[in-house]
Amino acid sequence: MDLRLLTFLMEFVSSFISLLVGYYALKGYKEFSIKGLFFLYLGFIILGIGTFLRVFSATYFVILLRALEPAPHLRNLINLAGLIYTLTQLIAYSLFTATYILQAKALGERSLELGMVSAGLFPIYGLFFNPSLELIAIVMLGFITVHSFNNWILKRRSGSALVFLGFGFMFLSHLLFLFMIMEPVFLFFGQVTQLAGFLCLLAMLARVSRVHA
Amino acid sequence: MPREHKEYRSKARIYVDILASIMKHGGKSRPTRILYGANLSHDRLMKHLGQLIELGLVEEQKQDDAVIYKLTGKGRAFLIEFIKMEKFAEAFGITI
Repeated sequence: MDLRLLTFLMEFVSSFISLLVGYYALKGYKEFSIKGLFFLYLGFIILGIGTFLRVFSATYFVILLRALEPAPHLRNLINLAGLIYTLTQLIAYSLFTATYILQAKALGERSLELGMVSAGLFPIYGLFFNPSLELIAIVMLGFITVHSFNNWILKRRSGSALVFLGFGFMFLSHLLFLFMIMEPVFLFFGQVTQLAGFLCLLAMLARVSRVHA
Repeated sequence: MPREHKEYRSKARIYVDILASIMKHGGKSRPTRILYGANLSHDRLMKHLGQLIELGLVEEQKQDDAVIYKLTGKGRAFLIEFIKMEKFAEAFGITI
């Protein structure tokens, strides 16, 4: 199978899972007025739509048009699609970050201190690289991963472990995307890791749905 | 002197506490038992029970000259759905 096709397929599955998690969060927000789920719903829906648009545009331009060397105007469009995708990712990660910050505030000062420590720790990564959108995503995902790890340590539940693994894999995938500049195959590894993250979230959804009377 | 922290309960959470209390007693219960289970005053319990009846989540029945409240199928489904959502939110560190 064409490696690019496999990559698009993995992204498509990731976008579907993202929309599914977003839908579940929306259900919780609307039916039970769980305010904390609002940003989570928006984040996953935006992430899902962004990923789907990128898969769609990449599939259209690269696979359907067989544009191995796309014309300059097509290249610009592909770049624009990529930029929109990265921006949607950043918006989504900002919303996840907001969810954890608001939750930390609601839980009290101790959690907030932990949040501040992790927020202070991760921007250090930014000093080693040139600032770019990808790096902002890494910083935010680092913050989210630390918080989800903190939540797992406090709760010791399988659901929180799966959320931590999900965000952890997403964080790892963005690190791998950085190495893409040196070796394009890291894009593939990054996509595999990203899919693993979304599959963890899907497993979490399956677990929480198994409640009987 | 530190001020005592009073936990805020959302309307959905109060409904769930009432429904869970009825469920705990085999799906039907007297108001006094629900009152203790849901940690509500009598007036507030009656107000919420009225709303739950209107929503079709609970039904009122007379048994041996006493009023009992029974969980409907819709009420049971609501409770299960809430527990699922609570687990989902908890996985992300969100407390309801």
